[in-house]
Amino acid sequence: MEGILERLNEEMAINSRVFSINAFGFDIPISETMISMAIVTLIIIVLALVLVKVKKFTPIPGKRQTVIEVIVDFVNNFTKGQVGHYWKSFAPYFGTILFFLLISNIISIFNIIPTKTFFYDMLRIEAFKDFPVYQLKPPTKDINVPATLALMSITLLLFSTIFLRGIKGFLKTFIEPSPIMLPFKILDYFVRPLTLTLRLFGNIFAAYVIMELLIIAVPIFIPAFASLYFDLFDGILQAYIFIFLTSVYLHENLETAH
Amino acid sequence: MESIAVALAIMTGGFAAIGVGIATAKAAEAVSRQPEASGKIMQIALIGMAMAEAMGIFGFLMSFLLYSKLA
Repeated sequence: MEGILERLNEEMAINSRVFSINAFGFDIPISETMISMAIVTLIIIVLALVLVKVKKFTPIPGKRQTVIEVIVDFVNNFTKGQVGHYWKSFAPYFGTILFFLLISNIISIFNIIPTKTFFYDMLRIEAFKDFPVYQLKPPTKDINVPATLALMSITLLLFSTIFLRGIKGFLKTFIEPSPIMLPFKILDYFVRPLTLTLRLFGNIFAAYVIMELLIIAVPIFIPAFASLYFDLFDGILQAYIFIFLTSVYLHENLETAH
Repeated sequence: MESIAVALAIMTGGFAAIGVGIATAKAAEAVSRQPEASGKIMQIALIGMAMAEAMGIFGFLMSFLLYSKLA
């Protein structure tokens, strides 16, 4: 039991540096989260480049065009249904956040990188003992990533309200149903990013910890089914809930009482 | 004393389970009353369940943090 606690404390440490780059006289640490995020971004870029390689968009869609149309239609319909009038300016943001979170939440099921002890046990070569350890973990397990995304969402909410409704309209949102709501409306701008962060981080981190404990307890067969729920279903649901809540906040500020 | 705090924190799991149970029961009721609206009801129910479940997970996280302080 002692070993497990130590390992989990190690997991929770925010700056788990893998290696560092020496540039401009600074020592820039590269953490696990940054590498995972780079991999997620790479996956999204490659998928986008492969899918958009359509020669010409035709009324009768081909294979790739069908996939693109399904994805774009889903995001557009979601935004149209939730945000309303100004859906066109927000659809790209929701699509980006949704696919980033989708891939980063479920990335741990693609973790097929063997550990260094695996190589050593297989081949008995001493050099593998000094191999750098890297495991593919969801980047949202690090609290900095959900916090950044939540701040992005709340900044979008603030500025889009100011731009689309003007300063007067923005100030009017604070006293919209009744002036009694004023303190709560001000408090909302601090509570909302906090809950967005904690919901995403808590779910992904708890799922990760449960999976780790399960793998230690029962190494075979059962983790496969638990992973289906904790990694796949929970990850997809949390990605959807993140953009759903952002769109609800936007709708509240933009659509009520013109 | 700290062990009691950990146990209290993990109790949120039970309350979250009650919340998810209520949401599921109401969703089943709604679908049996209006089977044609099952798609929309399903969506709302899933989101509500995820919200209720998040509270349980907060509790789990808190208990875990307390426990790792304890040892």
